[in-house]
Amino acid sequence: METIATFPTDVAPPVAVMTEANSSDRGKSGLVERAAAGDVEAFEELYRANVGRVYALCLRMAGDPTLAEELAQEAFVRAWQKLGSFRGASAFSTWLHRVTVNVVLGHRRSTIRREARVRPLGDDLPRDVAGREAGTAESIDLERAISSLPDGARKVFVLHDVEGFRHQEVSHVMGIAVGTSKAQLHRARKLLRKALTS
Amino acid sequence: MKCLDFTSRIDEYLDDQLRPENAEAFRNHLARCPTCAEEADAVEGLRRRAARLPQSLDPPQDLWPEIATRIAAERVVRGRFGRRALMAAAAVALIAGSVVTAYLVGRSQVGTTVENRQIIENDPSEIVLASFQELGVADYLVTRSGLFGALEVRSGDLSPETLEVLMTNLKVIDDAMEKIAEALEEEPDNEFLMKQLAAAYRRQINLLETAVQLPAEV
Repeated sequence: METIATFPTDVAPPVAVMTEANSSDRGKSGLVERAAAGDVEAFEELYRANVGRVYALCLRMAGDPTLAEELAQEAFVRAWQKLGSFRGASAFSTWLHRVTVNVVLGHRRSTIRREARVRPLGDDLPRDVAGREAGTAESIDLERAISSLPDGARKVFVLHDVEGFRHQEVSHVMGIAVGTSKAQLHRARKLLRKALTS
Repeated sequence: MKCLDFTSRIDEYLDDQLRPENAEAFRNHLARCPTCAEEADAVEGLRRRAARLPQSLDPPQDLWPEIATRIAAERVVRGRFGRRALMAAAAVALIAGSVVTAYLVGRSQVGTTVENRQIIENDPSEIVLASFQELGVADYLVTRSGLFGALEVRSGDLSPETLEVLMTNLKVIDDAMEKIAEALEEEPDNEFLMKQLAAAYRRQINLLETAVQLPAEV
């Protein structure tokens, strides 16, 4: 059986995650405490504040909008289940980000036979991407190219180049060697450049 | 340094993974080789584009209703109650005649997870769909929900003993579904298991239909 390491709570988060956490968590501590005590309304507020980032991560790592929705839902349900173990050592959004990464990487694609339901990213682009005024074409092209990458290369690329993980962190959460992470990143960048220039 | 050495380690150079002396050799090569400089610019450009992608994207639809439903089930199934409290809640639900609540509470005691059921129910195989067709069931979830609703209405007519037997049997079927679903996770193309799952669905629907039609006892 495949075993995947989970992102521990005592590992320093990637820089990009920390920056996001600092900006989105101000004033959220009361909500987290209320949610941990079983307050669903407080948890809904946390959902509203974080769903965009969770969905973006799921979408890019899964490469499939339908699966991304399911994984984002699962991430929030998992967060609800584990709120009692959240010690507040990191920002809630940082902790949620780790939970989401673990959910996506722990997802066993073989359990869901969805081949018929998978459609290329672009037919169902999220509103933020489709509706952006500046750099729309550039973002859409890159999002589409990322979604077409092979699974392993896509996950490494998203974690490293989009989310700001280092190879050691990618290696740990994905349960692969650092060398494999580097090789997958090289492969992903090569394929993306080819896709974007063709 | 040759161009091949440069291109094979260009990611490490751009990601600051090289030792200082190697990085210096890279910089010297870059200054002399326009082809490799172009290659480095292209990779760096891609990195910048990736870093500029929006960190937040709205999902196509609001995900909260489904999350709220699952959380609500979670609260009942294994949520924030102790085992004794769960059993007490089941007893209260029985007395109150709330069959659906009692059933949900009862599920917690067989370790039911909502997740497996949702995977199977949201993505049924051809075998399961054919089985529903035999039963005259167009939509399993709608049919089951309707039968629970009808049972709720009729629960006042049935004795506590009958309701208890009914719930016990529903839990037995539920437990079987979970075990089959777990096995299907390992072997998603196992036709025998899928037939067993279809049979479990049929038994559940048959049991609910029978219960709804039972003559009044109280």
